[in-house]
Amino acid sequence: MATYSTSEFKNGIKILVDGQPFQMVYFQFVKPGKGTAFTRTKLKSLINGSVIERTFRSGEKVEVADCEEVTMQYMYQDGDMYNFMNMESYDQLAIPEGIMEYEVKWLLEGMEVEVMMYNSRPVGISLPHFVDAEITYTEPGIKGNTATGASKPATVANGAVVQVPLFIEQGEVIKCDTREGGKYMNRSKE
Amino acid sequence: MPISMGLPPARVLRDRARILAALRGWMHQNGFMEVQVPIAVQSGALEEYLEPLALGELQLHTSPEFALKRVLSIGLGRIYWMGPCFRGEELGPHHSTEFTMLEWYRVGCGYQGIADDLISLLQSITSALGQSLPSVERLTWQQAMERHARVQIPNDPEEQMRVWVNDVEPRLQSPTLVMDYPARDAAFSTIRGQVAERFEFYWRGVELANAFTELLDPEELRSRWAASAATRRELGRDPHPEDERLAQAVGRHPYAGGIALGVDRLVMLLLGTQDIHQTRIQG
Repeated sequence: MATYSTSEFKNGIKILVDGQPFQMVYFQFVKPGKGTAFTRTKLKSLINGSVIERTFRSGEKVEVADCEEVTMQYMYQDGDMYNFMNMESYDQLAIPEGIMEYEVKWLLEGMEVEVMMYNSRPVGISLPHFVDAEITYTEPGIKGNTATGASKPATVANGAVVQVPLFIEQGEVIKCDTREGGKYMNRSKE
Repeated sequence: MPISMGLPPARVLRDRARILAALRGWMHQNGFMEVQVPIAVQSGALEEYLEPLALGELQLHTSPEFALKRVLSIGLGRIYWMGPCFRGEELGPHHSTEFTMLEWYRVGCGYQGIADDLISLLQSITSALGQSLPSVERLTWQQAMERHARVQIPNDPEEQMRVWVNDVEPRLQSPTLVMDYPARDAAFSTIRGQVAERFEFYWRGVELANAFTELLDPEELRSRWAASAATRRELGRDPHPEDERLAQAVGRHPYAGGIALGVDRLVMLLLGTQDIHQTRIQG
C-alpha cells in the first residue's frame, strides 16, 4: 500500500480518505502552541468534485489513491452511455452520463479529454480548457448592434448554453472557456 | 516543499525596516536592554515537538530562551533579543526553517504584566505605520474552546489540539489573548492549579506570540526535561541534550515574565501579505 506522509503533501496529489479518492487542492502546516504539528488540507472529491476539509497529524500516513488520467477521444453516444477511445491502446470505453453531467454538454465527436480512472473505473473527465463549438441555436441578432455588455443565450456543442454578444449568429463557430461555465471568448478563426 | 519566490518589493522591505525600528524603539523607551545571544548552542530546545538543526557538534537555537535566562540570573532585569531562530520540519505559509523572533523578559511581573507590555508594543507599532490596534480580548484557553469548538470537546489531548486547529484558531480573528493553557502544555511556565500561567496572542487567526510566567524551580525543569526526553524516545527521536547551566539560571533568576513574538508573522499581518516568506529575502 503506497502512502504519503504529511511532509510529502503537495497540491495535486491524490489520496484516499474514508475509501474515497480525493485530490489535494490546499495544504497548510500548523503547529499550535507547544503541541504536535498538523497539516490542514482541502481535498476535492474525484468522484463528485465537492471539497472537504481535513486535518492530519504530522507524520500521519495517508493512502495514495490509485488514480490515473488517460487521454481518450470521444466517439459517439449510445443512450446514456458515451463511448471513448484510448488514444494509446485504441481500447474503447463506455462512460455513463451520470459522472460527467456538466462535461457531457460540451462533448463533440473527435474531442480529446482526460479521463480520471480510479481502480480501473472512470470517475470523471476533464475537458480541454478551450473548445471551438458551432452555435446550433440562438435568436437572430440585431444588425449593427455592437453595444458592449448586451448578450443573449446561445446553444453550442452537445447542449451547453453560453452567453454571447448580440451580433453572433446561429451557425457561427465560437471559442469558449469550459472552466468558467462556458464563457464566450471570441469568434473562432477559420 | 521547496518555496521559491522572487524578491520582496522594495515597499515591503522599507515597511519591514520601519517595523523593526519601531520594535527596537519601544524596547529602548521602556528600559529594555538588547542582549546578544549565541545562535549555535549545546542544547537547542526543551519541548518535545521542536526539532533543532545540527551545526557540527552544536545545534542552532530554536529560541534565545536559554541564553536570556542565564542573563536574567546575573541580575539584568529588562532584556530583549531580536534575530534569527531555526526549527527543522516546520514549513508552510506561516512557518519557515529560519524565522525572526523578538523575545523579551521583565523581572517583577508575571504573564499579566507581559500582556500589558505586548499591547503597548503593538499599539506603538501599529501607530508607527498609521494603523491602529483593535481592542484586545482576553479569554482563557477553556473559554476559547467552549466558544468556538463545533464539536463536543474531546478528552484526548491530541484530539483537543485537532479541534483547536480546525475550529478555534481560524476564529481568533480579532486580537485575542488566550490565557491559562492546560498544565500539560506548560513548557517553561509556572503551573497554578490545573493551568499553566501562559498566554498566546492571536490576531487574524495567526498565533503571533507566546508568553510565560517563568518557571523558577530547577527541579521542576529537570523533571520536564526528563518527560520531554521520554516522549521523544517514544517518537523514535533523540532526546534534547539537557543544559545544566539553564537549570541553575532558572533557580537563581527572580520572578519574571517572558515572551517570544514572531516578527515575520507580525510584518505579514501589518503589510497584508499572505506568507511570511514574502516579508524578507529568502535563503
